[in-house]
Amino acid sequence: MNKALEHSFVEQLKENQNIIHKVCRLYTNNKDAHNDLFQEITIQLWKAYPKFRGDSKFSTWMYRVGLNTAITLYRKNKRRIQTSEFDALQFKIKAEEYDDTEEEQLKLMYSAIHQLNDIEKALVFLYLEDKDYKEISATLGISEVNARVKMNRVKNKLRTILNP
Amino acid sequence: MDELELLKKDWNRSETSYTNYSEAEIYPMIKKKSSSIVKTLFYISIAEMVFWILINVVPYYLSSNYRKEIEELSHHTWYILLTVSGYFIIAGFIWFLYKSYTTISVTDSAKKLMESILRTRKIVKYYVIYNLFLAFISIPLSFYLMLQEDQQLATEVSNMNSGQMAILIALITAVTGLFIFVFWIFYRILYGILLKRLNRNYQELKKLED
Repeated sequence: MNKALEHSFVEQLKENQNIIHKVCRLYTNNKDAHNDLFQEITIQLWKAYPKFRGDSKFSTWMYRVGLNTAITLYRKNKRRIQTSEFDALQFKIKAEEYDDTEEEQLKLMYSAIHQLNDIEKALVFLYLEDKDYKEISATLGISEVNARVKMNRVKNKLRTILNP
Repeated sequence: MDELELLKKDWNRSETSYTNYSEAEIYPMIKKKSSSIVKTLFYISIAEMVFWILINVVPYYLSSNYRKEIEELSHHTWYILLTVSGYFIIAGFIWFLYKSYTTISVTDSAKKLMESILRTRKIVKYYVIYNLFLAFISIPLSFYLMLQEDQQLATEVSNMNSGQMAILIALITAVTGLFIFVFWIFYRILYGILLKRLNRNYQELKKLED
């Protein structure tokens, strides 16, 4: 494939790589798995890039490919040891910025998210990224009404996990 | 503050804490090979096509008896018709499979992407069922043909009492059944493992729309 295409892709990916990191953060629970998923999403983005027309923003396009890879295409690398415990280092919360209760709440929050299923995680991700229901519905392929209903359910579910 | 608001605040703030890959680090990443489910499915479907074609072709080259028989058969119109339509069917499967692969697009919605993958898997499944069906017919059929050719065997069979006959029929049925059963279990496990997560997620999305 031609160099110019490669270059423009890598440049844009570098600028927007946080989107991929954030997807990985929700869908994996240790550093190796994070890197593995990051790698796969990058490959999928690159493979789809020639068809990227630029009629949507590069970042919007990345959300979709990133989530699709995490939910559908990605096969967990069997060579890696699967840990269900999540790696505290990955979620190091900067203590100085929060009081103790808040820090504790955040920790609980992230571990609660990790208990959700793949689709629920996608909804939490899109919520955290401030996506509107139109985009959520288009990304997941469900109606806006259902996206709204499901989102409320997920939020409630999180609240119940936190305040049993 | 609501927990979700707190989470959102932290989410946005933690942006700076991710590893920031340089361009030099990203370049080698795009050269690596994907290990996605579509890729695996693709390899499996190719392997299946090749496997069943070989099953049909290899005996021809390995056994001169079989070759001779086939050459004799090849003068029969029904045999030519069967062979030709067999190749048409295989070509048809390959074409559908190819079409189906080209519709898998990572930029579709999650639900649509899952549907196209499941559709592709279904084509492979029909191909397998088709082959198992052929096996189901051809095992008893080849025994029948053997009886026609082999006079000695034919006499032996005709001298059998009803008990022996029953055993023979049971044996043929068992062999056919076992053959199909083993394959079926193999596929169930293979695709079961591969598509477990995809199926689960698809059901979850579908449940929302019901």
